[in-house]
Amino acid sequence: MNPHANMIIMSSLILGPMITITSSHWVMAWVGLEINMLAIIPLTGQTTTTHEQFEASIKYFLTQAAASSLLLFSIINNVWNTGQFDITQPTNTLSSTMMTAALTMKLGLAPFHYWLPETLQGTTTMMTLILTTWQKLAPLTLLMMINQSLNTSLLVTLSLLSMMIGGWGGLNQTQLRKIMAFSSIAHLGWMTMILTLSTKLTLLTFYTYITLTTTMLLTIKLLETNKMSTAMTSWTKSPMLNATMMLNLMSLAGLPPLTGFMPKWLILQELTKNHMTIIAATSAILSLLSLFFYIRIAYYSTITLPPNMTNYSQQWRHKNQQKPYLPLMIITSSMLTPIMPTFMMIL
Amino acid sequence: MTPLHLSYFMTFIISMTGFMLHRTSLISTLLCLEAMMLSLFIATSVCPIQLQTTSFMLNPMLILTFSACEASLGLSLLVASSRTHNPNNLQNLNLLQC
Repeated sequence: MNPHANMIIMSSLILGPMITITSSHWVMAWVGLEINMLAIIPLTGQTTTTHEQFEASIKYFLTQAAASSLLLFSIINNVWNTGQFDITQPTNTLSSTMMTAALTMKLGLAPFHYWLPETLQGTTTMMTLILTTWQKLAPLTLLMMINQSLNTSLLVTLSLLSMMIGGWGGLNQTQLRKIMAFSSIAHLGWMTMILTLSTKLTLLTFYTYITLTTTMLLTIKLLETNKMSTAMTSWTKSPMLNATMMLNLMSLAGLPPLTGFMPKWLILQELTKNHMTIIAATSAILSLLSLFFYIRIAYYSTITLPPNMTNYSQQWRHKNQQKPYLPLMIITSSMLTPIMPTFMMIL
Repeated sequence: MTPLHLSYFMTFIISMTGFMLHRTSLISTLLCLEAMMLSLFIATSVCPIQLQTTSFMLNPMLILTFSACEASLGLSLLVASSRTHNPNNLQNLNLLQC
């Protein structure tokens, strides 16, 4: 892409959520979301000579535009009913329900998740990374800011539904980016489960999720695999990265003692403190579904190795693609649970 | 609900329904998006009647600017689609199904 256009788009992409996060006026928050959407649509559809990238960007555009207008509608409804534009003041019920719908549409929670797997599949891997991590920042921040006015039962229903769809939807997939999309849906379900009870834990889950997803997607980009069939021979490209990919997948699944276990544990503890034990047990059981497809990828890529199964040999010519921050992210995504009290103090 | 409130409320809901139920072309979707934004612009413009203030509000102009940007983005995507998909009938977006 043209460097000047790239510069403008990148700075708008960073500026948009920053405006939303630091705003106290509803219209400023909406403006930040709009700048974000305007910046990322050209990035998702960079080469429109392939069919898939155009489809991904048009689906993304339609969903985000509808969600933005629905959010603006609920903002104006709030202004007509309460007379003020402040985010931190309570909203009336219809407005807060519509805001929940609009923001969950932007995030990709169930039942508004239909655009997410196809959009993440259609774009390049770097765009998948940005779409799953940076784009979730602004809507989640808005949800956290209005969490006093939100309906707990609605959010718990949406999050249980997201966990179910993230689990069951990912079972029949072979494309790695679609699997990451369903894992994103499930993780967002965990984040919104605890939103009305403790925003600290939502933030902790979000940071952990960003670390894990970034590591996984960077690993996928380095190994240049997009499907499970190519992931099976990724050990030829870099055996060490293959082994750490397994650790990362187990961390995404939430197995102790890896990092991904920490938010799940704290969320279950918080839910049981608020006497929502059955919901806590259901969400713990639903995370088993996503565990299955993570273990399946880890099994086929890492655990089945020569001299048992395949007769490939390691590649003798490597591409010199170094990502210097990747080892740090791998360590962060595997070993952070013992310093959990630090996070509880900081956040 | 006053008639004024009801008018923009129903306009938005009907346009949103039109946005969701597009059948033939992508252009109708973009038109309904514009109609949604227009109803919101009208709602913010007559807001001083409801709030009983007479101050100048920059709000409608901001919303109008951003909705124009969004509409032009949609149109550019529409134009880009004529390269890869059939220019006449823009409904077959099913290459990326699960």
